[in-house]
Amino acid sequence: MKKKITMLVAVLMVAVLAVGCSCQGGSKSSANKTMVIGDTTFNSENSEESVNPHNTYNGWACIRYGIGETLVHYTDDMNLEPWIANKWENDGGNNWTITLNDNVKFSNGKAVDAAAVKECFEHMIQAHDRAPSDTKIASMEANGNVLKITTSEPNPALMNYLGDPYACIIDMQSSNMEQGIVTGTGPYVVQEMVTDDHLTLTPNTNYWNGTPKLSKLTIKTISDGDTLSAALQTGDIDAAYGMAYEAYPNFENNKYQFSSIQTSRTFFTSMNMESPVISDKAVREAIAYGINKEGFVNTLLNGHGVVGAGAFPDGFSNFGGDKVKNAKKYNPETAKATLEAAGWVDTDGDGIREKNGQKLTIKWLTYPSRQELPLLAESAQASLKDIGINVEINNTANHKQFRKDKSSWDIYASALVTAPSGDPLYFFTTSCLPGSDYNYAGYDNPNVTKLVGDLSKEFDATKRGEIAVKLQDEILADDAYVFCSFLQMNLISKSNVKNYTAHACDYYEVTADLDIE
Amino acid sequence: MMKKIDVKKKMIFFGILVVLLLLFSVFCDYLTPYDPNEQDLSIAKQAPSAEHLFGTDRYGRDMLSRVIVGSKASIFSTLLLVAIITVIGTIIGIICGLSGKVVDVVLMRIADIFLAFPGLVFALAIAGVLGGGLHNAIIALAAVSWPKFARLARSQTLAIKEEPYIEASKLAGTSTIKMVFKHILPNIIGPILVTGVLDIGTMMMELAGLSFLGLGAKPPIAEWGSMMSDNRSMLATQPWIVLTPGIAIFVSVMIFNLFGDTLRDFADPKSSRRK
Repeated sequence: MKKKITMLVAVLMVAVLAVGCSCQGGSKSSANKTMVIGDTTFNSENSEESVNPHNTYNGWACIRYGIGETLVHYTDDMNLEPWIANKWENDGGNNWTITLNDNVKFSNGKAVDAAAVKECFEHMIQAHDRAPSDTKIASMEANGNVLKITTSEPNPALMNYLGDPYACIIDMQSSNMEQGIVTGTGPYVVQEMVTDDHLTLTPNTNYWNGTPKLSKLTIKTISDGDTLSAALQTGDIDAAYGMAYEAYPNFENNKYQFSSIQTSRTFFTSMNMESPVISDKAVREAIAYGINKEGFVNTLLNGHGVVGAGAFPDGFSNFGGDKVKNAKKYNPETAKATLEAAGWVDTDGDGIREKNGQKLTIKWLTYPSRQELPLLAESAQASLKDIGINVEINNTANHKQFRKDKSSWDIYASALVTAPSGDPLYFFTTSCLPGSDYNYAGYDNPNVTKLVGDLSKEFDATKRGEIAVKLQDEILADDAYVFCSFLQMNLISKSNVKNYTAHACDYYEVTADLDIE
Repeated sequence: MMKKIDVKKKMIFFGILVVLLLLFSVFCDYLTPYDPNEQDLSIAKQAPSAEHLFGTDRYGRDMLSRVIVGSKASIFSTLLLVAIITVIGTIIGIICGLSGKVVDVVLMRIADIFLAFPGLVFALAIAGVLGGGLHNAIIALAAVSWPKFARLARSQTLAIKEEPYIEASKLAGTSTIKMVFKHILPNIIGPILVTGVLDIGTMMMELAGLSFLGLGAKPPIAEWGSMMSDNRSMLATQPWIVLTPGIAIFVSVMIFNLFGDTLRDFADPKSSRRK
């Protein structure tokens, strides 16, 4: 009897253990496939607190997690291909005609027609901070599946912008904009959302473009890179976005797989033109020569990146960094000579140069949520010290507050996707024009302003590329920005995960093809 | 009697270790085999070897040199912190003990407020508001740690203020300041100093904790807590980069704690016997 009880207890313990194990990560039964993705970016610190595409950068979550879709889709060469729209044409001026696929449905079963798209875009223009100036939509006319858009001025990049996450097509009638939960056309729908914790998704039974493979998908917010690494190793999550480079060796074996692609997310520095030190052209030039970009990419990023030259990666469309002439490569000797010629000399032998009694010290502002930026700061601190520049680093999550006070920084190092829609105009209009949203440094060059005007009106792709290259050469000649590197995005997943694929645009992480065995 | 001699021996032994540790920190700049801040990316993340005994970090900096130099920031910041809280706490405690009435009530209620919060959590909040940096971390920890010394000094002052020699001093017309320095302080300083020494280890851990959470030393300053924090993602792949500053913290805290324990036993043999 005692033996039987012992056996029974042992069997029960094994059963409990088996159940416990099966609760970790994804369930693999074909009828009930669940998957958990750990993500460092889905949080309020990163301006992604919900999936409402019309609010700041929340659209990235909407499109990344398969909730929303846009009229057009970017290929990995950042060219456009049909998605919800099947064709579009421009009359050479302000008028666009966009024809929608006739089988697209929202997740609530309602058909997507031009009237629904018009209603969505009207709200987007009213609510989103970048959409009105990007799209320049003046009026719209809906007729069945045909949407006619008139822009306030010629806008050759309109369709590129309509592929941006903020232009996800959502049903304005059933979306809860206050809670940030929207009804889209993607393969998954929101079941539960707890900001900064998790997002639970279930399959869209009305999906128009395939059959979602998972019965439940959880996006778990894990802002700390070490926790993310531990979670993937213990099996609490099945896939990870935003893994720290140092953790990669843990996953370089047959239990895991990497999906990698080059992106146009650059790690770059903006030079504060109002700073007395930085306004000296020689100092800017010396800094551009003094940052060891190759060392940063090859050693600190373990080679998971591309050394920057211009505002776009080498080989990017017809305006990549390989086409610019004025990019500066790491050359400490030239940097020293430039400073020497400008009168910056180390007179007291402490290794830091002076001019008119003023030490050459620069305040470097950056933030920790992009793991590459603190590494860039500390690497630049050492390489710039070699040429006689003292760098004081302020690496703070509160960088937006410091950024407003121009006297608190000389260089602002940040990360930006320079061509989120595959078109070059975005970077220049947001970062290089006086008063533009991301021109924190106060850069103002009339030639650049004129060229941006030309680019915004030019429809011919070849000429657009030429203007974009000229623009990059202008800002590099001014040493207004130093483009240090471009991100190679790596998604890591367990080997039993299928189609968790990185895309150049960083948007389409979850698709109907995502699966787990 | 034998016990007392044993304790004294121990105290001298650990005292010598403390002195050696302090001398090591003072002269650390002359003891490093390499420049602790010089980066050489070509030798990044090298395992310990004859050339680099503690290996190198992700920037190719020699870890042994950084651990040696880190002693200065870690140990002297802690000593400064303990000195600040001891002095401020003692001054407030004596004021409360001597003045009594409203001043005592107000200051002690303020001390109660600080004691009502978990120390490190409160310090985290203060350091968060002040921003990063070793100075701010010291200010944050000092702000939450002084009440313990204030209470101790107050209770000691209250205990001796009714003593006949204090009364006699008062009758002789001695000024309060003179009385504090001549009669009160010398009689209460013993337990306060012992408490201060015992606190060094705890404060070193808390300072390293704040640094680990990113609120301590700023780059490129080598400080043990921030060195562990900056490199913690490499614990599984290049463990020496995290473990070497960790071991340095462990050894230093141990030396200060053992010295504090024996000092307490020596100063108060009753407590030692009770153990």
